Amino acid sequence: MLVLAPAACILSGIALSSAFDVLTRSMKFQLSKLFDDGPAISGNGSPNGSSASTVNTSSSKNEKTEKSEAAPKEKQSKKNRRKDKEVTESVSVKPKKEKRLSVLPLEASIVSTLLLIALGGFYVVHCVWAAAEAYSAPSIVLTSRSREGLHVFDDFREAYAWLSHNTDVDDKVASWWDYGYQTTAMANRTVIVDNNTWNNTHIATVGTAMSSPEKAAWEIFDSLDVKYVLVVFGGLVGYPSDDINKFLWMVRIGGGEFPHIKEPDYLRDGQYRVDAQATPTMLNCLMYKLCYYRFVETDGKGFDRVRGYEIGKKHFKLTHFEEVFTTHHWMVRIYKLKPQKNRIRGKLKKLKSSSKTSSTLAAGRKKNPWQ
Amino acid sequence: PHPVQNTATGADASHVLIAFTPAEADHLAIVKATRAEGKRKKKTYIPLPVSPADPATAAPNGARLYSISLPTPLKPTDTTTVEVFYVLTHSLEPFPAEITQSESQLVYYRDSAVLLSPYHVQEQGTYVKTPSSRVESFTRVDPTSRSGPDVKYGAYGNQLPYAYSPIILHYENNHAFAVVEELVRKVEISHWGNVQVTEHYKLKHGGAKHKGVFSRLEYQARQSISGASSFKNLLARLPPRVHSVYYRDEIGNISSSHLRSDSYKSELEIEPRYPLFGGWHCTFTIGYGMPLQDFLFESADGRRFANLTFGCPLLNTVVDNLTIKVVLPEGSKSPQAVVPFETEQHLETSYSYLDVVGRTTVVIKKKNVVGEHNVPFQVYYEFSPIFMLAEPLMLVTAVLLFFAACIVYLHTDLSIAKSQASS
Repeated sequence: MLVLAPAACILSGIALSSAFDVLTRSMKFQLSKLFDDGPAISGNGSPNGSSASTVNTSSSKNEKTEKSEAAPKEKQSKKNRRKDKEVTESVSVKPKKEKRLSVLPLEASIVSTLLLIALGGFYVVHCVWAAAEAYSAPSIVLTSRSREGLHVFDDFREAYAWLSHNTDVDDKVASWWDYGYQTTAMANRTVIVDNNTWNNTHIATVGTAMSSPEKAAWEIFDSLDVKYVLVVFGGLVGYPSDDINKFLWMVRIGGGEFPHIKEPDYLRDGQYRVDAQATPTMLNCLMYKLCYYRFVETDGKGFDRVRGYEIGKKHFKLTHFEEVFTTHHWMVRIYKLKPQKNRIRGKLKKLKSSSKTSSTLAAGRKKNPWQ
Repeated sequence: PHPVQNTATGADASHVLIAFTPAEADHLAIVKATRAEGKRKKKTYIPLPVSPADPATAAPNGARLYSISLPTPLKPTDTTTVEVFYVLTHSLEPFPAEITQSESQLVYYRDSAVLLSPYHVQEQGTYVKTPSSRVESFTRVDPTSRSGPDVKYGAYGNQLPYAYSPIILHYENNHAFAVVEELVRKVEISHWGNVQVTEHYKLKHGGAKHKGVFSRLEYQARQSISGASSFKNLLARLPPRVHSVYYRDEIGNISSSHLRSDSYKSELEIEPRYPLFGGWHCTFTIGYGMPLQDFLFESADGRRFANLTFGCPLLNTVVDNLTIKVVLPEGSKSPQAVVPFETEQHLETSYSYLDVVGRTTVVIKKKNVVGEHNVPFQVYYEFSPIFMLAEPLMLVTAVLLFFAACIVYLHTDLSIAKSQASS
């Protein structure tokens, strides 16, 4: 469909220029006829007539250059194409008339010229409006219209600005690869994986970490020297492209490289769910915990606006991560890896930590390359 | 206020000395002195000039002296009343130095119960007013009393010169410790009718550092106790009739700001992208344009001068390093800045659109700038009006040459083939 846009631009340019051609030719002819008819004023008449016609032709030349400049800048939209079709249809009617009469009446051609100029003016206004409304939405600043006007969700830039000013220069940030370039450019921090996606094993490592329980994820991130973990969460405001919706890819890509991540562990009846019917593996993985940490305290029930149901595990604490920043609408949440404890007291700690994880993962842990 | 009596027998006192400890003198932002004239309803306050005293006058332990010049010398056994006002920056030490989100900020204030002065002080009292009634502890130097937010040390009689009795107050201070670490203000004067100001800020929260978790939930839900010492907006006072105000940082426009104007001032309320807790930084740029006729005037000797406001437009902030660059139009000669207090000045050349020789720039630097420094200052320069034509003439000449070249090109025949067939 977009191929039609340049064709429509050229056709509309040809149509407008031939329309102006016809109209100005008729005006010139009519005016010269008008002045030739009166013999008394013929002495002053002809220079006036010729100057009027030269003015007309120069103005028509200006309009033509204006149209041909405006036409290539035309944006594709259905309204434009409909309007241009109307113009082409009306112009295709006029040449037939022209062949029969070869000239239009003077008043009609003057009015038509003025109307075409007005059309050009309104067209410029329409193009500016269409570009502002439909083609100027950066994917990083979201807006929504409410009764009070325009509500701006600038959470991404808020998080990147916070990272850039309030963390050390050498701190590494781990997130899913979608935000890699943005973090590098705006937050000016080193990332683990970015949009280049040339290292599938590395992406799988991050995916595995996001799908693992807290302790295993902490160990993976610690081995990568990561200090901050960034997740995108749209559940409070209803932003659908968040990390929970992308989670299936983290499981699949991670599972493709590390066999201890099995996709059926996260599925209930073939679906990824985060409500009370979710699998224990899902409710214990790092992505779930980082996204929904203390989310239940916002409304008391933990209703996720994107998924459309209440979350499964509502009250839990984080043992290996601590929250350092959450943006205004909870869209970006940044966590810091807690430093390792100096002493791990023997068997008591190991029993406690293993009881939190599911039995399937404990069995699969023997194959986990990170332990 | 100091009632001062000249007890010398022979001489008239032409100035009064005041002393500061070395720590205070390093953080001294401004010292002002006034004297009251008239009685009761007809009281007027005359400002008195204050300047650092002659270094030759000895003061023990590195105390620094400032001298206030009296308008009329004080005769022996005459008395007069002088009021001294001074502002110290960075003199409150947060203790504990790191606090969590739900804690309040407590600071130490160090001072002396008796005034450090080169003179005998017959009678004195010190009154400390804290912002809230929570005072954790204060040093007792009898007689001392405290009621709510006020702590009174006094009255002490007959103190020797340079007597000093250190006191420490530990109290709660949750006011926003907004510190602008660096501010660079560029004021571009254009004779075509606009003064454009661009300000680059590096803002920091200078209070107790934030440690541990930042919970957005606590911050939004329990606003009264969470983040008590943090701040999320700042107010800037701008001149009236500003236009094209923008507020952005390195990564783009910041949409959380409000501008309210009336006929004698404009107020810009800015909200940084995130609330500032202790030790957090942020940077941003504010820019605006003002009409030229509000700021450019002609002086009595024929020079032009720009009447601008010194200091930082943000209210209730301390600026550690302030740089003001006044970019004068091209062709300005002999610039001179007249500032009512001490500053470092030098000249530079900036290049902008359509500049050939560059624009003279007056660079003024000052450290430790507070709100009391927001006074007008003038930059004088000479400018002959013929230079206004320089830029339009340049553009006109360029377009003229282009059109002439087009005419020449269209009328010359550069073809190689012969037009006439050879016989």
